[in-house]
Amino acid sequence: MEPFETLVTVHHPEIHRYLVRMTRRAAEAEDLSQETFLRAYRAYRSLPDDANVRAWLFAIATNLFRNHVRSERRRVTAHAEVRARGHETDGQGPEGEMLFNETRGLIEETVAGLPFKQRTAFVLRKIHDLEYEMIGRSLDCTAESARAHVFHALKKIRHSLNGHELPVTEVTR
Amino acid sequence: MTSKHPQCLAIEADLVATAAGEATPEAADRVRAHVDGCRPCAEELGRYRAIEDVVGRIRTARRAEADEPRVRERLAARLADLRRRLMTYGVFPSPLGHILLARTEDGVSLVQYLGSGRDPRDCRLGRAMGPDAIEDDAALEAFYRELLAYLEGRRTHLEWPLDLRLARSEFHRDVLRVTAGIPYGAVRSYAGIACDIGKPTAARAVAQALRWNPLPIVVPCHRVVGSSGALVGYAGDKLGLKAQLLAVEGVSTAPGTRVPRDAMYVTLPGENFYCLPSCAWIPTAEQPQRLVFFGSRGRAEAAGLVPCGDCRPDLHPLAS
Repeated sequence: MEPFETLVTVHHPEIHRYLVRMTRRAAEAEDLSQETFLRAYRAYRSLPDDANVRAWLFAIATNLFRNHVRSERRRVTAHAEVRARGHETDGQGPEGEMLFNETRGLIEETVAGLPFKQRTAFVLRKIHDLEYEMIGRSLDCTAESARAHVFHALKKIRHSLNGHELPVTEVTR
Repeated sequence: MTSKHPQCLAIEADLVATAAGEATPEAADRVRAHVDGCRPCAEELGRYRAIEDVVGRIRTARRAEADEPRVRERLAARLADLRRRLMTYGVFPSPLGHILLARTEDGVSLVQYLGSGRDPRDCRLGRAMGPDAIEDDAALEAFYRELLAYLEGRRTHLEWPLDLRLARSEFHRDVLRVTAGIPYGAVRSYAGIACDIGKPTAARAVAQALRWNPLPIVVPCHRVVGSSGALVGYAGDKLGLKAQLLAVEGVSTAPGTRVPRDAMYVTLPGENFYCLPSCAWIPTAEQPQRLVFFGSRGRAEAAGLVPCGDCRPDLHPLAS
């Protein structure tokens, strides 16, 4: 079994990014990513040798995020959302970039408003490229249900973009 | 939203999967055949592809992670702290009932008798491990094997790195350090330990410290008895265990739970010889409470001592 430090080096950036995306707040993302790795450290030794460490870490992070959302909801705050710091850049030209950024903004808004399972399944699949089976493990459902969550998320995103011009795809029919 | 043709509705899932590149070849064929004749669905496929494309670019876009190194640094600090605090434990069967063994990064930190139970939270010091303790028998297995050999008399030393963090005070730690130095097969008095740590009147406090010994057996508090030889107490009410442990080391206890001091070989800490209890210097010893008693010549010699040249215990051994 590789030393825990290696696991932190390899997976922390991605898990942290995932939580920044899910929480949209830097401080919360840091707290949750720390907690993810502290929990992982405690359980690491009992992890089977052939375990998918990456999927396991995503599952811990997802669980922590879910609990976090629940406790947040209980708090009933009406403060304005402060976006997590950090911008993503894209090498498109100014106009293409504007359209991309606009579409992207709309998509991110829709994703943020999705029910927990659809949102998590969508982010894990589309942003972090996890297999449906692994997503199912994070969400405590079957791979098929995970696939269905992503499908419903995509449908909602698609509808939220009604009447909006989309960037030209590089993929041709 | 306009209502869709049933065929278009039926193909929707395949269409989304096709846009994502996840459709089976058959599904992709169905979609291709459908969109060839259905302009709205062809447009729909184009929009889903556009969404996939934007999402793909979100995925691959480089995020400016200015905070990541600092976040990592703070995580490393918390992990180091957790590591220092964390105890790993195992519960094992033994001739003395279930035994809890725990360790930290620094060494073995806890040995506790659980009796017939197996739950470490059932004993007070077990709870002192904290909520983060991790059960991992494999991490303690080597210590367990040595302990078992010791309890079965096949081993006379447990040279373990020890972590005394569960001792309640620096005074308790001092008591444990002196107690750890009592040789195998020997007994000393509480008052003797008190003298050794420079607090000759603290015999009762020494007894209390040993009552809370987090490392019985390895810090051999069973080798500490009353000045009269009485066993006094052990791990609460486990006087029988004390007699049992002493018996393994060759120290017999009389039926009245008393160590027969008058029938044991004697030395003083720091001396290199051992004597018969009748040796002339013993009544004149400056601090008689510091005397150390051995159950047999073998044990005394195993502790590096030679027979006294005056009383010659080698020529006149005690009746065993």
